[in-house]
Amino acid sequence: MTARARLLLLLPFTALLGGFFVVPLALMALISVSRESFGELPTSLTLHHYARFFSDAYYLGVLWETLALGAVVTAAALVLGYPLAYHLARTRSRAKPLLLVAVLSPLLVGIVVRCYGWMILLADRGLINGTLIERGWLAAPLPLMYNRFGVAVALVHVFLPFMVLSLTGVLKRLDPHVLEAAMTLGASPARTFLEITLPLSLPGILAGSLLVFSLAISSFVVPVLLGGFKVQVLPMIVYEQVLSVFDWPFGAANAFVLLVISIALIAVYIRVTERALRGIV
Amino acid sequence: MILRGVVTLVYAFLLLPMLVVVIAAFNSGTFFTFPPQGFSLRWFANFFARREFMQALRLSTELALWTAALSTLAGTLAAIALVRGRFRGRAAMNAFVTSPLLLPQILTGVALLQFFTLLKLQQTYWALLIGHVVVTTPYVVRTVSATLTHFDLALEEAAQSLGAGPVRAFLEITLGVIKPGVVAGAIFAFAISFDNFTLSLFLTSSRLTPLPIELFAYLKYSFDPTAAAVSALAIGVALLVILGIARFVGLAEFTGF
Repeated sequence: MTARARLLLLLPFTALLGGFFVVPLALMALISVSRESFGELPTSLTLHHYARFFSDAYYLGVLWETLALGAVVTAAALVLGYPLAYHLARTRSRAKPLLLVAVLSPLLVGIVVRCYGWMILLADRGLINGTLIERGWLAAPLPLMYNRFGVAVALVHVFLPFMVLSLTGVLKRLDPHVLEAAMTLGASPARTFLEITLPLSLPGILAGSLLVFSLAISSFVVPVLLGGFKVQVLPMIVYEQVLSVFDWPFGAANAFVLLVISIALIAVYIRVTERALRGIV
Repeated sequence: MILRGVVTLVYAFLLLPMLVVVIAAFNSGTFFTFPPQGFSLRWFANFFARREFMQALRLSTELALWTAALSTLAGTLAAIALVRGRFRGRAAMNAFVTSPLLLPQILTGVALLQFFTLLKLQQTYWALLIGHVVVTTPYVVRTVSATLTHFDLALEEAAQSLGAGPVRAFLEITLGVIKPGVVAGAIFAFAISFDNFTLSLFLTSSRLTPLPIELFAYLKYSFDPTAAAVSALAIGVALLVILGIARFVGLAEFTGF
């Protein structure tokens, strides 16, 4: 393929990305250091908005809450996702395509719909509480929603498929002979798992965890619908500042804090997955 | 076995919310308890009777169709250049082209809102369409790349040595081979656009609301199962998408298994 043909083929999408992805993000960075408040290009620069974010206990609290929630969700997704990925990677069942559909289908159902499913389940008059109360097994509804618990459950559900896919990719490439060798040499199944399978699947664990963590800390819909504004996370502050308060520079600064965290995570993620691929293939 | 028991529970966890939504959509009661109170289509009737939902459905469908068409075109061209060309900086170009997938959409949304406002294009159909194309095209690049990687260049060369011009060889041979990837990419782009919430949130107005945004607004103030009917419809679309992908590419190839 000639260089000219390649350029022509790449041009439509790279031009679109340049104009409507790179430039807007650069603009956002510029707005975050601007003194002007709304919809104007900055004429003088300031770091005031970042200073405001990092000196206010409220915003630091929100940042902490966001990161803590991300960590809990990541850990839960790993614990639930590992057995599933392990099974999916090794099964020879004829139902495998169906199992794959079960893992993937949540990804294709919109996030609002999935949140609504959890609202039906977890609300005070929802399926769980409603049924338990109707049968007289419970006097007052359990607090399952509009708190951290509800947000965490729905977040785990939304991002679990990403964890499973990351893990399955690595687990599938594990050489069964290595496991057999360990067993033949007298290692128990538990020891084989702890000393062989787990260390060899570490790149998948790391990649999946980074992916889930970065998705979880930037999720907006789930905390709003399942947290009912009682759980404050960074994306909600970004949304409020930009679309309700119209303090664009501060909103942009908040967004930029989130951006730096995710870019750092993505960089590590790319490095990890590349190394994993090189190490095994 | 313990593993099997745990795995079954996790599958149940994955599928439960969607199952519940579908049952609630057909359940006659306002509040869904177990066992269901009876079969009814009243929530679907309410959905089809509400003008705002119908308008949102039409907008979402039209938007998703345009998005799929444009991103399939741009994504297929880019994928051909990326897989076939051996050039310096190809890895970097690959990362650049798929970067909208990795960046949280709330950031893309804020950046595009500020950008379009400066251009005085905020809350227009164009802004919404461009935003959707930016986030869906990387999926097309991926699906087309996946089918192209397995493509045997000798086939195209054979066609050319038999007298076909390069363009004809491409149209009749290459396009035929990568068609599954292109179709899957188009289907995926349609689904992502149809379900997109986060990006749309920043690019819509009260006169321009796609279905997920309308559903979100409805859910903030009411809890009746009309929302379940809307959701059941979206789940139906997702099932069609999965069937489509399974038919044209095979799910295993699609996910890299």
